[in-house]
Amino acid sequence: MSTEQLADAELKMKIKEVIVKSLRLEMPAAQIADGIPLFGEGLGLDSIDALELVLEIERTFGTAITDDQIGNRVLRSVDSIADFIVAKRAASKPA
Amino acid sequence: MTGPVLPLANRVAVVTGGSRGIGRAIARDLAAAGARVAVCYRQREADARALVSELGGAPAALAMRCDVSNEEDVNAFMAHVVSVCGPIDILVNNAGIARDGVLMFMDSAQWNDVLATNLGGAFLCTRAVVRGMMVRRWGRIINVASASGDAALPGQANYAASKAGLAGLTRALARELAPHGVLVNAVAPGLIETEMIGTLKPAVRERLLQGIALRRVGQPEEVARVVTFLASDAASYITGQTIAIDGGLVS
Repeated sequence: MSTEQLADAELKMKIKEVIVKSLRLEMPAAQIADGIPLFGEGLGLDSIDALELVLEIERTFGTAITDDQIGNRVLRSVDSIADFIVAKRAASKPA
Repeated sequence: MTGPVLPLANRVAVVTGGSRGIGRAIARDLAAAGARVAVCYRQREADARALVSELGGAPAALAMRCDVSNEEDVNAFMAHVVSVCGPIDILVNNAGIARDGVLMFMDSAQWNDVLATNLGGAFLCTRAVVRGMMVRRWGRIINVASASGDAALPGQANYAASKAGLAGLTRALARELAPHGVLVNAVAPGLIETEMIGTLKPAVRERLLQGIALRRVGQPEEVARVVTFLASDAASYITGQTIAIDGGLVS
C-alpha cells in the first residue's frame, strides 16, 4: 500500500471508532463497511445520533459540519465522512 | 497574590443587555466570581464602556453594540467575544424590553418587538454559542425570565408571553442539552429596583408591595447572586428550572 492509501485506511478506521464510541454501538469498529449507509437502512441511525456524531467528528478531527444540508451529504457513510475531512484539511492548508 | 480559587476562574461569560439594571449587576457578580465577562448593549454605549473599564478592560471584560433580535448582530458579537476572551462557557440571556399596553390597542410592532427581543434574542444568542459548549461538554445557559411570566399583570400580554416563553424554552432546551453537559435554567425576578420599574406610579408601586411577603423591592444584586450560583459547578444537578427571586410574591 502507498502512504496515501495507508493514511486513507487509517482515517477511515478512526472514523469508524468515532462512530462506535459516540453512538455507543455494540459492534467492533472494523465491522462497519466503508460504504454502508449510516442512516435509515444500513446502520439505522437517527437525528439524535447525527447530532452526537457531528460533535464527536468536530472534537476528534477539528472539522465542523455547520448545517443540515452539509450534514445530510457528509454523514451518508464512512467514505463520505472521510472525503469531507480530507477536503476540509486540503482547504485549510496554507498554499 | 494567591487567594482561594474563584468559582468561575477561567470561564468566559456573556451577558446580553448588560449595560444597566439587572444585567449590569449580573456582569459585575460574574466578574467578581472570576469570569471574563462580555456584555452587549443596544443604546447605552457610555454605560457599557464604564462597566468594562470598571471590570478591568479586555480581555477580562468587553462590550459591543448588538441588537439581540438581529441574527447578524448576534453572530458578529459572539464571534468577537470568542476571539478576544476565548470560548464562551456561560450565556445569560438578559436583554429585554417592555412595551406595555392593553391588548385591544396593542399594535403589531409592540407585540413583535417584545417577542423578537425577549424570546427571539434568547434563541439567536443560544444558537450562536451552544455548539462550542456541546463540543467542550460544559456550558451554562441562564435565561432571565420574570415573575410576569407567571403572575401576570394587565397591560403586559406581550411581555408576559415572552417571559413565559423563556420558561418553556428553558425546560425544552434543558432536555436537549443535558446529554452534552450543558445546563439550562432561568431566574424569574419579581419587583427589582431598576429603571424599568422607576416609571411605576407610587400608588401602583405601593399596591404591588402589598403582594410581596418581604414587603420590599428587590435589588439587582439579589438576582445576580443566584445567576452566578447557577453558572458555577455548585449548581451541577440543577437544570430546566425557573427560580423565582421575588421576595415571596403572592399571585
